Amino acid sequence: MSLTRFLPTPSDRMGILWTLLNIDGSVIIEYGPAGTTHFSMGLFGELGIEQENRLFTTHMREEDVIMGDTSRLENAIVEVDQNFAPKVIFVVASSSSAVIGTDLRGVSKMVQPKVSARLIAFEQGGFRGDYSFGIKAAYELLAQSLAVRGAEHRPGTYNILGASSGAYRCKADAYELQRLMSETFSMRCLCPFCLETTVDCIESMSGAEINLVIRQEALPVAQLLEKQFGIPYVFGAPYGYQKTSEWLDAISEKLGRVPNPKVIGPLKKSATEMMQYRMYARMLRRDKMQAYLYGEYETVRGIGEFLSEMGIRPTYQISTHNTAPLSDVAEGILYLPGEKERISILKSLDHTLVLADDTAKRLISGTNTFLRIATPLIDGSQVAHHMPLIGPRGADMIREAVDEYVNTLR
Amino acid sequence: MDGNELLGRLKTLGKIEDPNKDIHGLSYAQFPGTHCPLMGAAMAVRGIRGAYMMIVGTDECSYYTKHMTIHSEDWGGLAGRCVSVTIDQHDVTFGCAKKTEEAFSELLEEVTPEAVFLVTTCVPEIIGDDFDAIADSLSERYGIPVMPVHTEHFKCENHMPGVERAITACIRLMEPQPVGDGVNVLGQRLGRFEDTELYRVLKSAGVPVCAMIPSGCSIAEIRRAPSAKVNIVVNDIGMPLARKMKAKFGTPCVFFDKFSDPARIAEAYEQLFAFLNIEVPEELTALSEEAKAAAAAAKERLTGVPFIYGNTPFRCFEACGFMASLGMVPQLIQCHGISEDDRRDTEHILQCADPYITQVANIAPLQYIYDVLKPKLYLGHEYAARLRKKGIAIVHTDAGGGMLGYEVTTYFTKQLLAAAEEAEAIGKEDAQ
Repeated sequence: MSLTRFLPTPSDRMGILWTLLNIDGSVIIEYGPAGTTHFSMGLFGELGIEQENRLFTTHMREEDVIMGDTSRLENAIVEVDQNFAPKVIFVVASSSSAVIGTDLRGVSKMVQPKVSARLIAFEQGGFRGDYSFGIKAAYELLAQSLAVRGAEHRPGTYNILGASSGAYRCKADAYELQRLMSETFSMRCLCPFCLETTVDCIESMSGAEINLVIRQEALPVAQLLEKQFGIPYVFGAPYGYQKTSEWLDAISEKLGRVPNPKVIGPLKKSATEMMQYRMYARMLRRDKMQAYLYGEYETVRGIGEFLSEMGIRPTYQISTHNTAPLSDVAEGILYLPGEKERISILKSLDHTLVLADDTAKRLISGTNTFLRIATPLIDGSQVAHHMPLIGPRGADMIREAVDEYVNTLR
Repeated sequence: MDGNELLGRLKTLGKIEDPNKDIHGLSYAQFPGTHCPLMGAAMAVRGIRGAYMMIVGTDECSYYTKHMTIHSEDWGGLAGRCVSVTIDQHDVTFGCAKKTEEAFSELLEEVTPEAVFLVTTCVPEIIGDDFDAIADSLSERYGIPVMPVHTEHFKCENHMPGVERAITACIRLMEPQPVGDGVNVLGQRLGRFEDTELYRVLKSAGVPVCAMIPSGCSIAEIRRAPSAKVNIVVNDIGMPLARKMKAKFGTPCVFFDKFSDPARIAEAYEQLFAFLNIEVPEELTALSEEAKAAAAAAKERLTGVPFIYGNTPFRCFEACGFMASLGMVPQLIQCHGISEDDRRDTEHILQCADPYITQVANIAPLQYIYDVLKPKLYLGHEYAARLRKKGIAIVHTDAGGGMLGYEVTTYFTKQLLAAAEEAEAIGKEDAQ
């Protein structure tokens, strides 16, 4: 349980960073040893996140650790404010500053009168949980700090809540949602929270007609915006044809808008076609249609339901992150923090559809069929932003993997 | 940012009295910042076959280090020799010893490492777990060498101490040996020693190489390293190990860094062959002449060319001194620090110019410096297209990382000339 052989689950701090790095018009100052910032470039580059003039470190010396001197941070904040004039400066703790208990909120409060930028401090240093805790904390603080001033109402707009850079195919998923909303309701996205967005977008979120919440970590933001501005929300990421259809129906109901039948019709037809897989499952003599799923909670739940519609039993459904911050966890979805148990399960799989990350791909035997649905990326890249996991296009891709899998069964 | 204002914060080389206090950064906020010693330790352990690296640190430190090793054959890829003990709030409060012991036990159930480098990071060092004692205890319990390597970044400025500490820890592996005629190579972190001129010269002189630490060696080779007649230290990071070997086994050492000045290279070769009790090989005369001719030819073209030094695989002040001797003008030198060993080179530079000195790895504010100093060349990693817009060409020197001897002079001057030519072409384009 104590040994980590592969890549550990990213920490809360990492989740906070990849959330904040997606906000144009802001700058992040990390208060900690410089090496962590430099080292992070590899991961953020892989996630397709720009860092130049968006991410800075103060470095930290022994005397800062021992004496608690924060002048280095104070000077950096003033300097960044003067040189880059961002609307917001996020002051982010490092593991070192968190352990010694640096009061970043206090420092930010003290420096605030000297700068034009809004200072927002994140004191998580990587010890409060994994990245799921981090993005939840980031969403909440961002919404509380930036989205609660009433903005101009913009009819025909919506926000996506819960778009996260750390999620596999996150951009493609966000673009697919936007395509669906545009083609079904002729609506446009006001703020993709928090992916390729801006401080201005976040500040305008309260002007949207509806919030589309695609992961539970963003639910508190939807609830806050509903309470404060009466903005309704629909929760759930639309995986599979049937669920996408239901998701669009739910939006239609909330908004009183009639969905475009040219979108709904083909979705319902595809959903009906899925029944053939159940029939095929009954014809198998040697094998059973079964799947191993390992990915972000919402992805596992969504794809697991889609596969169940096809008669494929998800024998293992494992979340990459702790499910503790989530308010509603479906039965059967586990979080296994230790690698050893996951390795043991993966090595035991036979004639299984494995939807997981590249680590799993390396561990399974050749009788299984693999489709990547989770980070980390080890064997490839993520450039096809027109190939989502959600919506009808995502369902098409998953269906192709299922067809490939079915051909291996007897 | 105002470039003049930024330069106003810096001291020039001639005005630096205490390098620890007088070398300032261009700004308080840095990007990307220096690499950390954890990465340095990983660079060192990569080259030591049969050794595992067990990181004790946060998820983040472990993630980035593992991420770096995943595509490396040396490391063994995803399931390779880099593993970790990721610490959480509980470990911060109650210590990491128990978890480390459990992880070690798990590791040894699955593999049989010949040695383990137990690498601690910032947080375990702040909370003060005694990893020297933990390493000793693990070593005793499992009967394999476990070497603690401390890589807290808040006590140093870059990654080099991590490499240095990892290779210095190898002293624990070494055992007394009968002394032979061979040499050890200490401190080569880039490239393969077998590809260097120095290796070819030693080989043709019949001098065997015993251990190359850490650029490619086995635990058994490290164990037998005291059999060498001389240690060739090819970078400062090899010096602490060389000193320990001198004290423990009496092995003398020669400092033979990637010098670019042919005179310095000649000195190193002479010192080395004196220790080996061998005549300086004839072939070095031709190599020396070739290097001197390359330098003389370069001087004709490079005199008066202003440059900013960022980073190269070469020795910072020695390389800048060599360029100054070619008539080039150092305007700003980015460095990790200035040591007593640099004095000879800094004095040489001061005879030609008095450049600004600043800390490395902070490219954001440099953009404003370019507008003020208007250099023609930049040595180091920067965005080429952006520099081009400012009329600056990059001097690419990465391939020099795998060189030692007169080949450095020949290669370096060639790269300088190519970049100067490019800068000239950029100037002509701008004029049109």
